[in-house]
This record gives sequence, C-alpha cells and structure tokens, in this order.
Amino acid sequence: MLRLIASFIFCLSFTSAEETHWSLRPLEQPAIPKSNHTSPVDAFIWTQLESAGLSFSALAKKRVWIRRVYFNLIGLPPSPAEIHAYLNNTQPNAEELVVDKLLVSPRHGERWARHWMDVVRYAETHGHDEDAIRENAWPYRDWLIRALNDDMPYSNFVRSQVAGDMIIEDVPDATAATGFLACGPWDSSSQMGIQDGTTDKKIAQYLDRDDMLSATMSTFTSTTVHCARCHDHKFDPISLQDYYSLQAVFAGVDKADRLFDNDQKISRKRASLLAEQQQFANKINDPDVTKEISIWATRLERSLPVWVPLILKKVNSSTGTPHTVLPDNSVLFKGTPPERDTYNISGITDLKKLTAVQIEVLTDPSLPMNGPGRAPNGNLHLSEIHVHIDDQPVPIIRASSDFNQADWEIGKAFDGNEQTAWGIHPQEGQSHQSVFIFNEPISIFKETSIKITLKQLHGGSHLIGRLRIGLTDGKDPDGELSIPTKIANIIKIPRDGQSSEQKKALALHYLKTKNSEELATLPEPGKVFGVTSNFTALGNFKPAIKPRVVHILERGDIHSPQEVATPGTLSCITGLPSRFQIPKEHNEGARRLALANWLSDPNNILTWRSIVNRVWHYHFGRGIVSTPNDFGKMGTAPTHPKLLDWLAVEFRNRGGSLKWLHKTIVLSTTYRQSTNDRPECQAIDSGNKLLWRMNRQRLDAESIHDTVLSLSGMLDLTMGGPSARQFTSKKGIHITPTLNYLGFNPDDPANLRRSVYRFVFRTVPDPLMEALDCPNASQLAPRRESSVTALQALAMLNNRFLVRQSEHIANKLKNETDPTGELFLRAYGRPGTASEIMAVTNYKNAHGLANTCRVILNSSEFLYIQ
Amino acid sequence: MRSPINRRDFLLRSGGGFGGLAMSQVLGSNNSIPHHTPKAKRVIQLFMNGGVSQMDTFDPKPKLKELNGQTFDPGAGELVESVTNSPGFKVLASPFEFKQHGQSGRWVSSVFPHMAKIVDDLTFLTSMTSKTNVHGLGSYMQNTGFTLPGFPCMGAWISYGLGNISKDLPEFVVMPDPKGLPYNNLGNFTAGFLPAKHQGTVINVKSNSPINYLFPPQEAKQITPQSESDGLELLKSLNQNYAQRFPSDSQLEARIKSYELAARMQLSAPHIFDLSGETEVTKKLYGLEGDKTADFARRCIIGRRMLESGVRFVQIWSGAGGPTNNWDNHANISTELPKMTQQVDQPIAALVRDLKSRGMLEDTLVIWTTEFGRMPFSQGKAGRDHNGGSFLTWLAGAGIKPGIAHGQSDEWAWKAQKEIWCYDLHATILHLLGIDHEKLSVRHNGINRRLTDVHGHVINEILA
Repeated sequence: MLRLIASFIFCLSFTSAEETHWSLRPLEQPAIPKSNHTSPVDAFIWTQLESAGLSFSALAKKRVWIRRVYFNLIGLPPSPAEIHAYLNNTQPNAEELVVDKLLVSPRHGERWARHWMDVVRYAETHGHDEDAIRENAWPYRDWLIRALNDDMPYSNFVRSQVAGDMIIEDVPDATAATGFLACGPWDSSSQMGIQDGTTDKKIAQYLDRDDMLSATMSTFTSTTVHCARCHDHKFDPISLQDYYSLQAVFAGVDKADRLFDNDQKISRKRASLLAEQQQFANKINDPDVTKEISIWATRLERSLPVWVPLILKKVNSSTGTPHTVLPDNSVLFKGTPPERDTYNISGITDLKKLTAVQIEVLTDPSLPMNGPGRAPNGNLHLSEIHVHIDDQPVPIIRASSDFNQADWEIGKAFDGNEQTAWGIHPQEGQSHQSVFIFNEPISIFKETSIKITLKQLHGGSHLIGRLRIGLTDGKDPDGELSIPTKIANIIKIPRDGQSSEQKKALALHYLKTKNSEELATLPEPGKVFGVTSNFTALGNFKPAIKPRVVHILERGDIHSPQEVATPGTLSCITGLPSRFQIPKEHNEGARRLALANWLSDPNNILTWRSIVNRVWHYHFGRGIVSTPNDFGKMGTAPTHPKLLDWLAVEFRNRGGSLKWLHKTIVLSTTYRQSTNDRPECQAIDSGNKLLWRMNRQRLDAESIHDTVLSLSGMLDLTMGGPSARQFTSKKGIHITPTLNYLGFNPDDPANLRRSVYRFVFRTVPDPLMEALDCPNASQLAPRRESSVTALQALAMLNNRFLVRQSEHIANKLKNETDPTGELFLRAYGRPGTASEIMAVTNYKNAHGLANTCRVILNSSEFLYIQ
Repeated sequence: MRSPINRRDFLLRSGGGFGGLAMSQVLGSNNSIPHHTPKAKRVIQLFMNGGVSQMDTFDPKPKLKELNGQTFDPGAGELVESVTNSPGFKVLASPFEFKQHGQSGRWVSSVFPHMAKIVDDLTFLTSMTSKTNVHGLGSYMQNTGFTLPGFPCMGAWISYGLGNISKDLPEFVVMPDPKGLPYNNLGNFTAGFLPAKHQGTVINVKSNSPINYLFPPQEAKQITPQSESDGLELLKSLNQNYAQRFPSDSQLEARIKSYELAARMQLSAPHIFDLSGETEVTKKLYGLEGDKTADFARRCIIGRRMLESGVRFVQIWSGAGGPTNNWDNHANISTELPKMTQQVDQPIAALVRDLKSRGMLEDTLVIWTTEFGRMPFSQGKAGRDHNGGSFLTWLAGAGIKPGIAHGQSDEWAWKAQKEIWCYDLHATILHLLGIDHEKLSVRHNGINRRLTDVHGHVINEILA
C-alpha cells in the first residue's frame, strides 16, 4: 500500500489561483468576424487562415463533394443517377437541395446513431468473463435512430438517456433511452456469482457505477471525471467529493431488462397502476372498496366448485414405491425416492357427472424441505397426466394451477410431450393445486372406474410426495384457482363471521387482483436493457430496495471508506448547483433526473461545447478540440475557440437542432474545399489544423460493408428490431457461446442489413470489422483510429463476404453496355480515365469481372472519402 | 486526418520493418525507445488459465499439514472471505509430495516432475498478489494491468513500443487452448485503445488457415494464382496513381506497402506451422507424440519457431474459460490438478531446454504465469477456491538471475507477506526489453495510460 500513498501525495490538487480553463469560461456568443464569407463558419475559419498567411483551397469538384456529403450524412455513396441529377442542376441552391434530401432520409439517423454508439460503447453482450447476450439491448439503438431522424432537441436527447424513465411526459418513449447507461460492460460473474456483502462484490458495484457515471460525464460534458476516483483530479477542478456524489446519483440502479411503453397514454396508465401498488394498505378501509369487495366475494362464492375426494381403490407406482393413505384421503409416498416414476391411481365416486379433476400436491414433514415434491429442494415435475373413465381416455381441454414455475407451466402437463412438465420452484414448502378440465361433462354410474395416471419423467426424483385427487361436477372448476386457498376459505365464511385480520387479507387480495387484472389489459410492454431498481433477482444479483449507501473512498480504496456521499455532480460550473436538493422520500430516479437536468441546462457550458465539437469531429475527421472526450487541461485546446463558442450558442439557441448543425457545416466553404496538397500551406500548417483544405478520411468499417452491398444492389434497408447476427454460434464451454464468423454463410440475409443493425459481441468481435478499426465497445471510443496493416489487407482481400459480394457486383454489372466504366462510376463516383479503363479492362478480360470488382474494393480511391 | 500514432505507424511500417531504435530516432520523440540497452529481444509467455494452486505446486506449506481439517483461523480477527465457497473453511493440506530439486534446492511437488529438473534455470516470484478473486477480472489484470475490459494487453504494449523484428510476421501472436478461448475470450489479447494492429494475432493451430484471412476462400473458384498476382499488380498501379495525387499523405503509401507485406506473410506463415522438419529428438523432448502432451507440445514448438522467425511476443494458453478442464480446481485438487499438469509439464520443460540448447535463452524471456492462486482451506471436501492473496509466477532466460526465488507468502500461502504485483512483473518485463514502464504511455480519455497504471517497480533482485 505504501506506493499507493506515495502516488497520492505526488498528485497535485487543482489550484484555483490559475486562470480559468477555456472550457469552463462563460459561454458567450462571439461576434462574427468581418469577411467576404456569408457563412459564419467560414468567417471564423477564414479569419484565422488569413492571420496565419493561409487561404482557403479551391472548392472540391462537384463529384467529390457529393460523394463526401453522402458518406458524411448517410454513410452510403450517391448512385450514378443521383450524381447526374446534381451535376445537371444549375440552380444556385443545388447543394442545399442535396443536403435537405439527405437530412430527411431515414439513412441519416442510422449513420449518426452508429457514431453515437461508438461514443457510448454500445454492444449487446456483457463483456467480461461471462459474456452473455443481452436480448434487449437493441431498443436503445432503435431509439437513437428515431431520435436523430426526428431531430429531437438536444436537451431532450440528453435527458432521455440519463433519466428517460422520469420524463415520459415530455418524451413518451424515453425509457428505452436509458439503455445508454447500461450499454457498457457488466461484470456478470462478480454481480451474479459473488455473495452479497463481500469485498469483491462491493468493488463490483462501485466499478459498475463508475462505468455509468464516467460514460455520462465523458459523453455529455467531455469531462474526465473518472480521473477523480482515487484523488482530486490532478489537472481539472474535479474533487474526490464530486466524483462520489456522482456515484451516489446512480446508487439505486443496476443494469437489467426493464419494461417500457412507447405510447404515452399507456405509459402513464401503467405508471399509475404501479404507483397504486404502494398504496394498497391505505385503501383497505375505504368504504367504496369495502362495497366492491362484498359484491365480488359474493359472486365468487357462488361459483366456487365443491371438490369431492376420489374414493381410492388402488394406488400403484411403476417403480414399486411404497405409500400410505392418510385420513384426509391423501396419499403419501415413502421410502427411497426413485429417479422417475409413474403413479396410477384408481377409484370411484358418488357424483353423477364429472367436469374436472383436481390434483392437490401437499406438504408433509416427511418430505425434503416439507415437500410437496421429493426432489432435494421439495420441487416436483409432472410430465403428463392421463385420465381414463371406464378405460376410455378423457380429453382435457384446459388446465389451471395456483402457481407455475417459470417455463414449467401447467399446460406442459398435458401437451403430449414427456420432455416438458409442470413445476413449482421456487414455491416449494407450500401446498399447490392444479385443475384439469374435461372438454365436456362425463356421466358417471356407481361402479364407473376412474383412473388417473401421473407421469413424472424428468429425473432427479422430481416426484410428487403427497397428493390428493378431487373430483367435481361444478360449472367453473378452476374459478377457485384465481384465488389462493387462504382467501377461498375466508370467502366461504359469512361476512359477519370474518375476523378483522381476515377482512384485511381479503381486501388486500381484492386490490391486488384488480390491479393486476387492469395491468394485464395493457398491451405487452417493450423490454430494454437499461437501468432500473426493479428487476427479478438472479443469483446474487438483487435490486437495491433503497439507493445503496455510497462512501467517499480514500484513494479509491474499498477498505478506506470516509463519509457518506450525497447525490451531486461537478462543482466547477458557475451558476449551476453541484449538490442536488432531493426530497427525503424519493424514488431513486429523482437523483438521475436532477443530473439529467443539470446536464441539459442551457447554462451548462460543457454540454453545448461538447456536442458541437463531436459533430464537427465526424465531418472533418478532427474536432475543433481534437480530444472530444477531454475538455480538461490535459486535452487539447480548441483550434478555433470562437467558432466553437459561436456554434455552441447558436446550436443551443436554435433548440438544439443537430440537423441545423449538419447543414450549416456541410454547406460551408470550409467543408467544401478540395483535399489537394498545397506545399506552400503545408510549410506553414502541416497538420492542417487551421483547415486550409479538407481532410481526407478512410471509410469506416460499417460504411465499407454497407457500400459494398449498395454496389451489388443487395442492401436490405429494413429498419430496427433485434440485431443481425453475422456469425454462427453454438453453446460454449461456460456462459459465453462459441462464435464462428469465418464459417458464416456470406449470403445469409443477416449479412445484408445495414451495419448499424449488426450484433456487436464485446469479447468476440467480428475479425473483419476489427481489422478495419471498429472499436470493440469495451471503452468509450470518441474517435476511431485509421490503421494500415497487413492483416487489414488480408481481411479486405480474403474475407468471404467481400469476395462473394465482388461476385454479386459483377453479376449486377455484367449486363451493362460498359461494365468497367459503370464500375468506376459507382465505386469512385467518377468515370475512369482512358488509361485506367484500359488497365482494368485488360485484367477483366483475363480474369473476369468478379476478380476485377475485388481489386476495386481494395483500392484506395474506393476506400477514401476525398 | 492523421494522428501522431498513425504517423508513427507509418514510419514503422514504411521502412519495411526497420526496428524500434530507428523508428524512435526518426520520430525524435522524447521517450525514444529503447530507453536503455535491452537484455531480452523476445518473450514467450505460458498462461495457465483458472488459477494455479501455489501450495500444491511450488510453494510448500508444512503448516497446512499440521492444521489439516481444522477451521482456518489466521488470527488477529482477520476477515476470511471466499468468493464462491460457502462457509466452512477447513484447512486442506496438499495431497502431493514435495521434494527439493537441483542445485538451487527448489521445492517442487510431484505434479511437475519435468519442471523439477529445470529449476536451476527458473526464477520464482513466490508471492504475487492480485486485486481480485474473480477469473475475468484477474485475467484482465495479469494481461493488461487493469481489472476492467478495454485496456491494451502487455503484448500489445510491447508491439506498440518496439515494433516488429520480422518483416513477414505479426509482432504479437496468441495460441489459445484449442478447447476454447480463455476467460474474457479475445479481451485478454486486445490492443484496447492502441491501434488495432497491435492486438494479438490469434493462431488456431487446428485450422487449415491458422491465421484469419491468410488465403482466399476456397469456394471462390475464380481466384487463381495468376488472377491473384495480376490482381495485386493492378491494385498496386491503381493505388500508386491515387497516392501520387496526394504525395503528402503517408497513409496512402503505407497501404501499398501493407499489401506487399500481406503477400510475404502468405509465403512465410505456412512454413511456421509445418513441423515435419523438426528432429525426432526434439519431438520426443516436447512429447509431441504423447497422448496428453501432444497439443501443448505442438503449440510450444510452433511458439519456438515463431520466435526464431522474428515474432516478438508469443503467448500460449493452457485451459479454456469455464468451470472445469482448466486450472480452476474447485472440486478436487488431487484429481483435477494432475490432469492439467500432465498436459503442460513436459512441453514447458522441453521448451526451456530447447531454447537453451539453441542459444536462444540468452535473449528470450520465458514467463510462466496464472491469474491468481488458491485457498489454503477446502472448498467442498477436497477443492480450493480462488485466492488473489498469493500466487506464483516464474521467469527464465534473458537478463534473469536463474535458480533463485523472490518474495514471501505467509505460513499458509493465503496472503503475500511481500506483495509482488502484476505492475512489478510487467515493469520488469518491459525493463528487460529496454523499456522504462513509466515512459511508455498513451493518452486516452484524459489520462496518460500505462501498462503499469500508476504503479510498478522493476524487481531488481531477480535481474542478472
């Protein structure tokens, strides 16, 4: 530990005497400099070029600009027809028309959602050792695409992702947006495997909150708050207390599936019904409720069936297991339980007709965990039931039970499939009953023999330990099953004879039933892997009943807890509160909502600067601040601070419209410049920081995939839904399945979807996408590398999907009058030169069009946005 | 857009593989690598996945025999926790016999008869410590220095820092257990936020194409040797024409080179996997024909051949992730542990001997390691639960003082008395490669990230 202390002392805390750092200065709109340029963006850029002795480059050729703007706004190339239309449009606003068209295309939201997914480390598996699939991650991705296509005001975009479940009044489908907080890695083996209260478990919980809070603060405010986990931030005014205040914001939630409604009315109705559940105790003496109960109970009592025990004649076990018949007509099985068994129970009855048979499985002290089953935990599995009356099989139309184990419903006891069964886990130790209803009443005579066969074939001694068979002639044989035995017994007592305890139990039951029936009438909600304080416990992973207590940890050490942290955030933003005033009796969501409101506040200088810089980054390949997630002292300073502030203020004042921002940028002269070399400018500004030309960018992995499909005409433009798994998978050794990307059929329909819908598996990434610098979603990726490697070259040459697509592109082109010329137009967006056409045609004549397409897909001009 | 890293990559590549020294001179950077004269040129790491039991292999504890069956009580009110175990905590003596071996007199249990014979070449770190008792986190920690996903592993850092020796092969290769990937799957071999080229190239020794995408897909009948060589010619001329339009863009030039390198890799890689040229003596030494040893022996021989061909860092894994069939011996140490040791003992001892006889041990560092150790008390009747408190690593070869042990675990091998962290191990390995671990850093999300985080001391005591 000594060295940890040493490093702590070494770390300097922030000194306020220094001049305020640029990103924390007040956000004021700078005056637009005087210039000949109408676009304020150009005015700012030009002014700095001018003073450095530089100038704008010539505008890029029209063909170059349209290819560039298509890729930047929708991630796909323009078709030859679209290029042609633009080239022939002589109107002064021809560019604007192109841009407007692209911004309303649904492809736009898909393109920019994918950028956002990089920033927020979106993937659909847990990462870590036990890398299990999240079946419900994708609704967040669909929400993003929708929000971007709808040009949702940025403040709502921010608030939804941090506290969407709290603002459904403003943004009805925002609950799905909380997928943001959950889309990072989750340490399943620590969270589910490790016992509560142990040190390793506490560490896991602190680290999980660290993931949520650092993603939130890096994404929305470009702040490296995670640097303050062990000590005050070395360089920025972020204290240890600030950091743990943010931990406290997320102290009530975990990453898990949560339900949500897209429809605002339904969403509201569900919320009020769920809230009502907290109020039952206050309503039991309400006179209206008492009245309702009385009507309900009377109606119910009339319909309750009367069960008459079968008069036993013979009880037989296929394994010869011994049994005793008890005075209450139940049968108790004894001795060493066999693995599997089938009981045949025969008898007679005095009833004149039968409508149903009831199997009660009863507890008994002689059974493991009191039964009613004989498995070590008291569970049982009824595989199949057969009823014979005078040796004729009786068809069963329906069955009910008072409890069903998840995935082991009562219907599985008469589905004709011996592999499936009814079970009662985890409600062992209690008696249960099931009712099997005949498809029509059957007449009975005095000596009619009734035989019940109970097959219990699951194994592991999942056998019934004690049972009683009841018969009825009632019209509504399973009416009773909607209510527990205890309640049914109360109903049978006359109203005046009920004790106050019994009346209370009855009222509670009534209110619960009514509530759940009303909930059941609502349409099935969607599920999103988000954050929640309400989920079904899984192993040692249990919801926090109240927000967990978060301590400030000295040096980030779990063994050095200091005072308790209260919900809050950074203290360095002038004019915004750093500790949240939250009512004492609050839902944990109030904490996240307070942070969401703080983040989206018009006065949050970091938020507005952060987003305009991100958008700029994707258009130019480098942000005005080249460290999009770090606006602190260790990040880089803005190359154009005034432009950044002008954009931030203007963007905020225009309602946070991202589409306005895109349009402003791509129509600027700055953006429209050529990428050509200019040695005289290079000598002054070799890194092109001042933007005397446009930057050339390589297509990202997803754009390559999508563009290849658009060339072959096979791109499937279906939007949304569960992700396309572009791999085969089989059960792995443990939790993580074994994936095979290389063996996946290249023509499988899943390969034809846009890449934004590709299933991203965190610890087993797609080798092609990885070779093309697609981040693996373990960390936030505010920018992508653009690497050049031999393995990338091999992947581009030999990946089966790309090779197969080169054949499909050839097939599509082969009927054109000039396939080679057409290939240039589609892949490069320009006609080939005479010498290019000659070289390529020679190769095509020798080796075929498919091989030719493969070469073009590997060529730099195809892979770069110029 | 070009970041400094890309520029660096380009310079690294564009010389057709000139070494790290030249590269850093060209860059003129202030952290020019090597920071000092390296002792080691290359590294081979043998990673035993699941958590090797220290008190049943190399760290004998007579005290456990004495206390066998009693409730474990370290005294002083110390908290005894166990991550997957239910309370019980009865001390469990090792079921294996320990003997002293070699001149150094190192104690080795009967599970490692072959390694026992090379102990004088090995240097033991007997009290490694981990922050965690969880496999995934522990594996990340030993490989990347962090318990979270997304950080570059040691191989990636070394590749990033030193570049390649070979023109034709990747710098960093990984051979996972053919039974399956380890805990964290490919996460342990990741380049994290370093450029993708530094990630481990995974070799699937059982496949016809042991490196992904090495050759065109077999179903593509239109691709012939002639179409391929003519195609690469055409591609080169197209790419050259494009690059000439933008002479200042180094990346375009680098792309042309990358296709040339790819073609060379296609020629040289298959040779590595062809063991027909190995002598019978060598095959026998490794146990290539042995039932239990064949797989690990094959991977060790391939590993040696890679080192010979200029691969900088080779990592070989024993044990796939998951609850059994690896070193995670929860149920019964006396039966589960020997199953694993029998697979690797002979091949590993052979590897060290083979490297030595070829003179390669002089500048090759061999590391045997695991993610954590096991508990001195029982889980169930005869197994042991995870223990990050103390475990064992050994090193051999370049720059290492052989035949010694460093560190001290407590009398139960429960916790380290002298803690040695992965940071120290990593710092030492980097040091031997000529790298100052505090100077090899990359800025990511606001922090200068290092393999050793903010920790790490070179373990001078074990340096020759």
